[in-house]
Amino acid sequence: MTVLELDDASIKFGGLIAVNKVSFQVNEGQIFGLIGPNGAGKTTCFNLITGVYKPTSGSITFLGKSLSDVHTDKIAGLGIARTFQNIRLFSSLSVVENVMVGGLLRRKSSLPSALIYLPSSVTDTAQIRHRALELLEVLDLTDVADVRSKDLPYGKQRRLEIARALATDPKLLLLDEPAAGMNPNEKVDLMNTVKRLRDDFGKTILVIEHDMKFVMNLCENISVLDHGEKIAEGLPQEVRSNPKVISAYLGESTN
Amino acid sequence: MTTGESAITPQTGGFVPKLNLGMFFGVRTVSILATVLFCVGIDFFSGPQFMSRYAAGLIFLCGTYVALSVSLNLINGITGQFSIGHFAFFQIGAYTAAGCSKAFYATMHLPTLEWLVLMAIAGSITAAIAGFVVGLPSLRLRGDYLAIVTLGFGEIIRIATENITYLGGSKGIDITPHYQSIALIMLLAVGCIALSRNLLKTAFGLGFLAVREDEVAAVAMGVNVTRIKVLAFIIGSAFAGAAGALYAHKYGFIIPDQFKMDGSFIVLTMVILGGTGSVTGSILAAIILTLLPELLRDLHNVSFGGLIATALMVLVATFGIKRVIDTHFDLLKMKWLSALGVLAACVIGEIIIKMLLDLFPHVRTHAPIDGAQLRMVIYAATLVIVMLLRPQGMFAHHEFSWTWVKKVLHSKTAVKS
Amino acid sequence: MMLGATHLTMPFLASLDFATLPQQIINGLLSGSIYALIALGYTMVYGILKLINFAHGEVFMLGAYTALFVSYFFGFEPNSPYHATSVWYLVVMILASMTVSGLAGVIIEKVAYRPLRNQARIASLITAIGMSTLLQFGGQLFLPNSPPPNIDQRINPFSQQIKFNLVPHDSSLLAQLNVLKVTKSQADSAWKTRQKLETDTFSPSPEGVRIRSAAQEADRHFQDLSSRYQTSGVTVQMALGRIVTIIITIILMIGLTYLVLFTRQGRAMRAVSHDFDSASLMGVNVNSVVTFTFIIGSVLAGAAAMMDATLYQPGLQINTFFGLLPGVKAFVAAVLGGIGNIPGAVVGGLLMGVLESLVGWCGYTGWQDAAAFVVLIVVLLVRPAGILGSNEVEKV
Repeated sequence: MTVLELDDASIKFGGLIAVNKVSFQVNEGQIFGLIGPNGAGKTTCFNLITGVYKPTSGSITFLGKSLSDVHTDKIAGLGIARTFQNIRLFSSLSVVENVMVGGLLRRKSSLPSALIYLPSSVTDTAQIRHRALELLEVLDLTDVADVRSKDLPYGKQRRLEIARALATDPKLLLLDEPAAGMNPNEKVDLMNTVKRLRDDFGKTILVIEHDMKFVMNLCENISVLDHGEKIAEGLPQEVRSNPKVISAYLGESTN
Repeated sequence: MTTGESAITPQTGGFVPKLNLGMFFGVRTVSILATVLFCVGIDFFSGPQFMSRYAAGLIFLCGTYVALSVSLNLINGITGQFSIGHFAFFQIGAYTAAGCSKAFYATMHLPTLEWLVLMAIAGSITAAIAGFVVGLPSLRLRGDYLAIVTLGFGEIIRIATENITYLGGSKGIDITPHYQSIALIMLLAVGCIALSRNLLKTAFGLGFLAVREDEVAAVAMGVNVTRIKVLAFIIGSAFAGAAGALYAHKYGFIIPDQFKMDGSFIVLTMVILGGTGSVTGSILAAIILTLLPELLRDLHNVSFGGLIATALMVLVATFGIKRVIDTHFDLLKMKWLSALGVLAACVIGEIIIKMLLDLFPHVRTHAPIDGAQLRMVIYAATLVIVMLLRPQGMFAHHEFSWTWVKKVLHSKTAVKS
Repeated sequence: MMLGATHLTMPFLASLDFATLPQQIINGLLSGSIYALIALGYTMVYGILKLINFAHGEVFMLGAYTALFVSYFFGFEPNSPYHATSVWYLVVMILASMTVSGLAGVIIEKVAYRPLRNQARIASLITAIGMSTLLQFGGQLFLPNSPPPNIDQRINPFSQQIKFNLVPHDSSLLAQLNVLKVTKSQADSAWKTRQKLETDTFSPSPEGVRIRSAAQEADRHFQDLSSRYQTSGVTVQMALGRIVTIIITIILMIGLTYLVLFTRQGRAMRAVSHDFDSASLMGVNVNSVVTFTFIIGSVLAGAAAMMDATLYQPGLQINTFFGLLPGVKAFVAAVLGGIGNIPGAVVGGLLMGVLESLVGWCGYTGWQDAAAFVVLIVVLLVRPAGILGSNEVEKV
């Protein structure tokens, strides 16, 4: 089943065509990679999918529903969750509280009941907290559950962002450069975690990344963008040896 | 999308938290009864047979400012919307009560307390509408711009009331019944505190905090940022309006000049001093900053030389302590000692400088300053000093709780840097 | 609905006196130039630090007090004997105001804003509000406040009114008017002499009635023709002091333009306002640029204060709160023109002045002060970037 489909999606900013007729499909249970050199338009694609920008032509469909007119605040409700290139955590909240914010989306009680502290809101809060703690365990953050998220080391902050996104119970998870700034060990851990999210929990995952080795080892299907256009697509070994891809990344090591 | 199950661990089924309803409602009922008793008790013990009218009025004022600062904290501290025109809602509530009382009180023949409750409700409704109006720009404007808009709104309200002759215009308006209800203002303050605490104890509070911390991330997580921002304004302004209505009845006479932006400034200082986001902090700061200037009222002859000397030494002390805070010390104890040392040096410096200044005839013969004039100066100085030395306020984001007390007692024995 | 609109606006429009419109616009432009000078300070500081310098109004206030004290020094204390004035006194006053204001601005920046530069912008804003209030109420303790003093009007050598004919009046009417003037004075003196002969001036004899009505009619003819003459052309008048004000303002703005566009410091300022962090990485000494910006902005405000209190509104009463309202209006002007944009501040200032003038011309003088706040809210809701500003999207 196709979870996400971009069909000739394009966006223009003034005279600059940032994304030009890009098409690809992400199927259920896939780990899909979107790569390309700096400025290729990868994050712009993400922003198109999450409703930050509206495509000037072409379409973006999620589970059969068009995303062209959907505003950012409805995206999470539809089942798409994302992490950010520059980490955006709720700094003064603790780790578990950060994840609980994600869990709010699937709440069962109402705000007035919280204001007058009815039992329904108390149980709901406990339930949200329990699920948050479960997610922390999946992402190996249980030992820092009550630490202020601002005080976490970088690698754990990135994992926390993923945990928080998962709390919204998404069908599609968008990871924006999740391995940036990590050391090789952390990258291997992240790779295994992402694989586990797909294997054990059935999540469909779309990853933007720079690190070729990370992407080649993690993703099953890869689309390569350059200057806003798709220049290659396919399995990692096909993409890796594609001359267009190599020349686009000229100067970067592709081992 | 969701069923009753947790989608994360489909095997174990859902987590069903157990809540002992009997205990739950039992505790709630007892605490509500205790609170009501507390408020009525304060009202009783501030009666004329126990304390002077002046002291009772002071307690009323404390209750008012607690309600104001906790409600402002909901908007500023918890939701992170920078509103500095809070007094506008206070004024709207007061004038609503004034208008309704003028038009209807004589004809309705209701007992005083019930009329006051009705007026408080009316004040909260009109203030909530105003809060809604002010909250709408918050959806589009960044922090400092929103601040200016809220300030401007406050001034527009004040200038408008000066031009409405039915409400007395710039000459003010009398209000009957002229009655000070400490029970009601305390109940209002407690209600505001309870609401804030309830919000923060549930997951919903996290939604508000998320809006404060990072709106973009909050939206991406499906938090309804629009709804939360507008709600924060509505609830915060409603409480301010209710307080305004009770305040109007206490004084029996209000005039637009009372509601200048100085008032918003005072409430803002209380929230900052207490620590944005901390309900406990707002309560304490409101009480401290209401009572402090009253102590000054008795100081009728502050010598001019003393004033200059104190001002200079406060300046030096502030920067000295800031230096101490920024310097790294191996032992926390040393840091405290250095700070105390700075303070001691400044006190001595003040005495010396005062003596030196008094040698100048110009200074010696200057008219003494009345303590009451220092009120706003102290508020302003407090705000600036808090922002320079400890911007997170007294309590930062923390609340009072028994676990916190235990932590503090334990850490006193540890050696930290 | 259109009919209803015309029904409401027609009587309103009819009540307006279009003959005074040019004068009101000129007045607006003159007061706008003062707002522009103050607005420049706000806009430059915002451009560099993204901070609304709430205390700028108080820097303005301190400039006014400086001018006051310098005028005392030159012998123009309250109730002092007559003293000849000289343009040099004003020169010293404006230089002193500019110096003191500049110093005040720098001190405020070093004490209150610099320590908080690394924290959230809201922190600086709160501190700015605190400083502003502190200066207003603290100043009250040390500076003469009530009764509010004013700079002695005698120090102003430019007090005569100058008239400008924008559209010349009908000269034929002028000739007729002079003839009628003679007729009128003759009839008036006839009635005056007649009055002495009457026993009861309120019910005179038939002959007396004839002479009195002749005098009244002559007077009425004269008044009619006089107002026709007035409305046949457009004359505006302004005090020479105001003309001097605008000349000095223009000179200062030319100086500022040169500074920003052609000097090294000006280039540094523009670099920092573009991107704070990159500029410092490029070797620009950010601290000195910030100090420099505050100096320039505060110096302009000091000049504006001295001119306002001495030349523009001679006899204006000064107290420690008097910087608040001009400060707010100038801030709105800066936002209106596009905050962070220097030409925008000038445009915004002039517009605010004219707008205020027009609100008064429409008869709503009580609402003139509220007009600033209304403009502010409208601008922030409709076009927050202002007239000359540019819209920037926050990138995720």
